[in-house]
Amino acid sequence: MDCREYISEYLAGHADGELAPLARRAGDEHVAGCPICRAQLIENRALKAMVRQSAGIVKAPADLKARIRTALDQADRANDAPWDTRLAAFAAMPRRIGERLRAPIVWAPAGIAAAIAIALMIAIGSVNHRRAAAIPPVPQFELAIARYHDFQREFVPNVPAEAYSDGDSTLYAWVMNRDPVRRVAADEAQTDAFDDIARSYRSANMPDDLFDLTQAGYEIAGGRVDRMADGRPVTYTLYTGRAGQIVSLCFSDPTMAAPLHAVNWLGMRSFYEYKGYSICLSFYPTGHFISILISRMPVTQLMRDIAAADLSGISR
Amino acid sequence: MARKSGTATDKRLAFEREALPHLDAIYTAALRLARNADDANDLAQETILRAYRFFDQFTPGSNCRAWMLTILYNNFRNSYRRGARERPADSADEFSGEIDANSLDADQSRINPEELLSSRMTGQRIELALAALPDEFREALILVDVQELNYQEVADVLGVPLGTVKSRVSRGRALMRRALCKLDRARGKTGT
Ligand SMILES: [Zn+2]
Repeated sequence: MDCREYISEYLAGHADGELAPLARRAGDEHVAGCPICRAQLIENRALKAMVRQSAGIVKAPADLKARIRTALDQADRANDAPWDTRLAAFAAMPRRIGERLRAPIVWAPAGIAAAIAIALMIAIGSVNHRRAAAIPPVPQFELAIARYHDFQREFVPNVPAEAYSDGDSTLYAWVMNRDPVRRVAADEAQTDAFDDIARSYRSANMPDDLFDLTQAGYEIAGGRVDRMADGRPVTYTLYTGRAGQIVSLCFSDPTMAAPLHAVNWLGMRSFYEYKGYSICLSFYPTGHFISILISRMPVTQLMRDIAAADLSGISR
Repeated sequence: MARKSGTATDKRLAFEREALPHLDAIYTAALRLARNADDANDLAQETILRAYRFFDQFTPGSNCRAWMLTILYNNFRNSYRRGARERPADSADEFSGEIDANSLDADQSRINPEELLSSRMTGQRIELALAALPDEFREALILVDVQELNYQEVADVLGVPLGTVKSRVSRGRALMRRALCKLDRARGKTGT
C-alpha cells in the first residue's frame, strides 16, 4: 500500500486498535518501512491521549447522585404499588415542560391527569426558580446589556482618530467619524479598520487585540474609546454579521471574578446565558482587563464564532 | 417488607453494579451535548432512570456504558436538540474535501508528538480545537477517545453505519491536527 492509502484507510483504525488482523499486519508492515506514516501513527496516538486527558470524564455532582438514588428508590417503591400511585410518582419526577413531556405516553383517567398536571406545575415552578436564581446580578453584565441597547439605537465610532489625544483627559475629545455604523468597514479595507482601531486602543493604553470574526462572517463596524462614570477607560467594538450584532466591551476591573453557572468554557473564556443575552467573558493575563462580548444570538452560535476567531489567528 | 419481591431487589443490585459506575461518563456526555449544567443534570437523570426501567433489555456481558450512551443520545435527539445547535448539513462534506487534500501533504506543519504531550500543549488548546470541529466529528472522537467505545459501539450510539464512524474519526483527527497547528502559530492572544 502507499502512504495515501495508509493515511486515508488505515491510520485512524490503526491508532484505535480497530483493524482486523490482516489489515493490521499490512498496517504494521507499512509503518515499519515508512518513517512518515510511523510519525503520523505516533502523533495520532498522542492526540488520543490528549483528548482523553483534557476533554476527559468529569465527576457527576453529588446532588445529582443523591437525586438519582432517590428517584431509583421511588421507582422501586412504585413498582410494588398500584398503578395510579406509579403514575403519580412518574409525574413527580423532576422534569421541565416542553417536548420532553411527550416522550412517555401514559393513559390516565381525568382525576389522575389533573393530579399529574398539578405535580408538573409544582416541578416547573421550582425549576424556573432554580434557573432564575442561577446567576445573581452581575454589574459588569448589566453594563454590557445597557451598552448593547444604546448601540442598537446608534453606534457612532470615535476611532480611528489620527489626532488622537488624551491630553485633555477626555479620551475621545477628537472624534473623527460621526457617520452611522458600518462607515469604517464600508469605506476602508477590512485590514485598515483593524489596524486603525487597534492603534487607537493602544494609544489609549487599552488592549489592542480584536476578535477576527471575519471568518465567521462578521464585519467590524467600528470602535469607540470612552470613559465610564467612574473615569475608567473602556473600549467598545461592534461586530455585525448574519447572526446579528456582537458588542465587545473591554475595561480594567480588578474586582471581577467569573460568575458561577457558566454554560460552557473555552480555555480562558466562559460563556453565560444571562437575562436573554449570550455573553462571553475573558480575562486578560495582565492589567486586570476583562473583555465582555454580548449578543442576542444563541450562546452556541456565539461560542462557535468565537472559537473560529480564536483559531484564525486574531489581531494583526 | 414482605411484599418486596426478590427479583426487584436483584434488579436494583445488578443495576448498581453494572450501570451506576458509569454515571460520571454519562454525566460527562450529557454535559457535552446539553452544554449547560441544568440540562445536563436532567438529561443524565432521565437517562439513568430510563436505563433502570429497561434494564431487562440490557445484554449481560456487553458494554453497559455504550448501552447507556445509546439511551442518552436517543433521549437527547428526541427531546433536547434544538435548531440553534445544528450546523448546516453540508458542513461535514465541506470539511472532508479540504482534509483529504491537506492530510496528505508533505506535512510542513507536522505536530511533534513530544511537543503535543508537553505542558505547552495545554488542555485549553485541545478544547479549542475540539470546539471548532463540526459536531459530528467531535462526537465521534469523544466517544472513541474519551468514552473509549469501539467503532461499532459508536455506530450504535450515533445510529449511523460503521463506515461513517470510521471516516468521521479519521477526518476528525486530521482536522484536529490542523487546528492545533494553527493554534501553534497564533498563540497567547486574547481579543477585545
Ligand atoms: Zn507511508
